[in-house]
Amino acid sequence: MGVIKGVLKEELENSIRMKSGYERELSKLPKGSLVKKKVKGHEYYYILLREKGKVKFIYKGKVSDEEVKKYREVKEYRAKYRKLLSQVKKQIRFLRSTLRGKESI
Amino acid sequence: MEKNQYELCVKVLKRLEKVGVLKDVILIGSWCIPFYKEYFAGIKYISAIKTRDVDFLIPNPHGIKVNVNIPELLKDLGFIIGYRGAKGYIKLEHPDLVVEFLSPEKGRGTDKPVPLPKLGVNAVALRFLSLLTDNVIKAKVEDFEVLLPHPANFALHKLIIFQRRFKEDKAIKDRNAAVEILRALINKGDTTLLRHVFNSMLPKWQKKVIAGLEETKEKELLSLLFAK
Repeated sequence: MGVIKGVLKEELENSIRMKSGYERELSKLPKGSLVKKKVKGHEYYYILLREKGKVKFIYKGKVSDEEVKKYREVKEYRAKYRKLLSQVKKQIRFLRSTLRGKESI
Repeated sequence: MEKNQYELCVKVLKRLEKVGVLKDVILIGSWCIPFYKEYFAGIKYISAIKTRDVDFLIPNPHGIKVNVNIPELLKDLGFIIGYRGAKGYIKLEHPDLVVEFLSPEKGRGTDKPVPLPKLGVNAVALRFLSLLTDNVIKAKVEDFEVLLPHPANFALHKLIIFQRRFKEDKAIKDRNAAVEILRALINKGDTTLLRHVFNSMLPKWQKKVIAGLEETKEKELLSLLFAK
């Protein structure tokens, strides 16, 4: 087996493992995002999430600044992990198609 | 991807430098080769194939004083913890880079990871790594410095370990990297230094280096470097 082919094969194994890793991290994050609503001049927080294709608001009432910060961080990590997961999936597709070639690389 | 990889690698190094860990680790593996550019300035030198693995060698795992959780430190860059094997070796994974810690094997050795509780990770203990800690150089990266094994030690180490690889392609990659660095050292005029490093090695290890060079069929290198 050529050196490059061996490296690509190893990278494919790594990418597959990494895909599971990002999926696991995403599943660990709390679902939904925190949204603020103003009702009769008062501000209340809701958790906005999607369940069976339907958008759902779950009442949270008043929340601490700490919790607002936590949900903001969760939102950032979710976006980051989704982007990286998509990058890993692209790598897997690329590596699989490259390795599928019959000629030695 | 390569530009992203390099930028991410520099970010990782910068963070480790900021928290005071970088001075306790040596960058080894294929990722130290691009940082040899400064050492080989003006010499014909082609950087070998880099994988995603960025390996940090910790010469003295028990001597680490700083208390920094590295997975947390790199979390916002997108690194996640990946466990390998039944023993639970920790790797910090990102689509562009995989960070791993290694340490020189002591005594009879063990297949268990070396815990690094102060850093929140563990290290893989491997034989012959002490060869990389004996002689280190500093390479300037942006506004800080990173420790690298001297290219002579790096090349001689590769000559030993390529013979121990199970996978043929990895063995060829290591062998090619060793030969490339040796040639660059000779072109730089470092033959005497190379001989000195070789002579300071254990006789058992010297034999392995010679066997490695014989296997590469680089007779010219062999006679040039180790002629008596």
